[in-house]
Amino acid sequence: MAIGRREVSAYMTTPIGWIILCAFVLLFSFFFVVGLLQYDQASADAVFNPYAADQLNVNDMIVAPLFGNMQVILLLAASALSMRLIAEDRRTRAIDLLLTSPVRSSEIVVGKFLGAIGFATIIASTTFLYGGILMLLGEPDPGIMFSNYLGFILLFGTLLAIGLFTSSLTENQVVALMVSFAISLMFYILGWTGQLMDDGALKTTVEYLSMLSHFEQLSKGVLRLQDIVYFLTFIGFFLFATTQRVEALRWR
Amino acid sequence: MIEVQGLTKRYGDTVAISDVSFQVARGEVVGFLGPNGAGKSTTMRIIAGSLGASAGTARVGNHDVADDPRGVQAILGYAPEVPPVYTNMSVRDYVSFAATLKGVDDVQAATKKALGRVGLDKVAHRLIEHLSKGYRQRVGLAQALVHDPKVLVLDEPTSGLDPAQRVEIRNLLAELAEGDRTVVLSTHVLGEIEAICSRVIIINRGKIVAQDELARLSAVGRAVKVEVARPGPGVLAALQALPGITGVDELEGRYVVRGDEDLREIVARAAVPFGLLEMSGRERLEDIYLRLTAGGAS
Repeated sequence: MAIGRREVSAYMTTPIGWIILCAFVLLFSFFFVVGLLQYDQASADAVFNPYAADQLNVNDMIVAPLFGNMQVILLLAASALSMRLIAEDRRTRAIDLLLTSPVRSSEIVVGKFLGAIGFATIIASTTFLYGGILMLLGEPDPGIMFSNYLGFILLFGTLLAIGLFTSSLTENQVVALMVSFAISLMFYILGWTGQLMDDGALKTTVEYLSMLSHFEQLSKGVLRLQDIVYFLTFIGFFLFATTQRVEALRWR
Repeated sequence: MIEVQGLTKRYGDTVAISDVSFQVARGEVVGFLGPNGAGKSTTMRIIAGSLGASAGTARVGNHDVADDPRGVQAILGYAPEVPPVYTNMSVRDYVSFAATLKGVDDVQAATKKALGRVGLDKVAHRLIEHLSKGYRQRVGLAQALVHDPKVLVLDEPTSGLDPAQRVEIRNLLAELAEGDRTVVLSTHVLGEIEAICSRVIIINRGKIVAQDELARLSAVGRAVKVEVARPGPGVLAALQALPGITGVDELEGRYVVRGDEDLREIVARAAVPFGLLEMSGRERLEDIYLRLTAGGAS
């Protein structure tokens, strides 16, 4: 779709897209190297400690922690990527082009979302380099790699959908960024409060709502339909809310 | 082609436009005139489908804007006052993006044609952010006519331009208005209306205060201004007694007599006994505008 393609090229022709891409690659590389060094240290320890050698595992020691660390970066990256999607159009009035063209509000929203996902995929693809290095030097489980990537994209998509929604609420990109970051973080760390609660319906609900618990399963290589449905529901809900919001923009 | 019936838009307690009704026939070029904040943009945005009305209907072609906005937008080109451009795109990319959004079949050909029409071929590769205001305004126009719409709605297409650019855009508009394209444009530059439009709608404080053929509105003799040597109630009575008049205004010893036909001869005859000093039978558009919108500027 044209709107999506335009958004991707907008990321490629403005500094913001490249800055986020560079920051992401930098941090990902950092975590990767840290992971490697820790693994190296653990291997050296294992020479003297045969029990530790059993624990040595590329999947558990590099892949999973790496993607775990990346989640926090994703929270910020997704908020930063999505903050401009609608807010900028409203500020520059470029949104008038979209609103007065024969396209539905839902098409505008989905187009914007796909554009953001498209650029997110480009960002994610930079990590193939490290995946390749691991493949060459070790034996990571392709299944775990796959489910981590799936979780990564689903989480990224969910965060972008939240960001897209907050971007439609305001003309101010910084406001959009902060609000989406706050909402994202809330849902992300909701699981922590769950751990403090007594067992019961509330605890189950809170833990179900938290992104963390669903992402953890995927990062362990456990593909559960309920986790995938969780993320897709989130995306669907926020895209729907954004569509309503864009529809409302036509009326004021 | 455009039918607007009882259009009203309220923002909370503020009424932007109230009960605006007018029609524009196919091929007509209509000027929308009024002070800033009179409701011109509001009306145009409602017709273009980027704003909902609180009450009333607007139809373009055979489509109702509220029920079938996409049907309207497929045959309508709208250029808002601020060109809705993405400044980080090149002119060509932007216009072809607009063409795609508007569902044009041959995007490349349509883009080329639109760029040619508004004279942007030479800067097609440049980023919009590097263009002057006049060129940006043209990009806004190119976007509005890329799908060769039957109806063009242009909100102040010449605002913020220097006189040379203004003339260029005006010539362009005159060109666009040829054929059976229907054009509605708003402006507060009266010369523009006189140069391009066949009919004018004057709006003030959200209400239509006059709409008529330009030729009829400022026709010779329909408003006669007289100055007499001995003003007084007698003059007023004599003028009011004239056949075929619709009203007499008195202003510092001068009288303005209005009617639907050429009143010059009968007014002259009635005024001579009081010492006719001066008489003029032509009311300029500017005077009409100022009279109708008096006190409405904000």
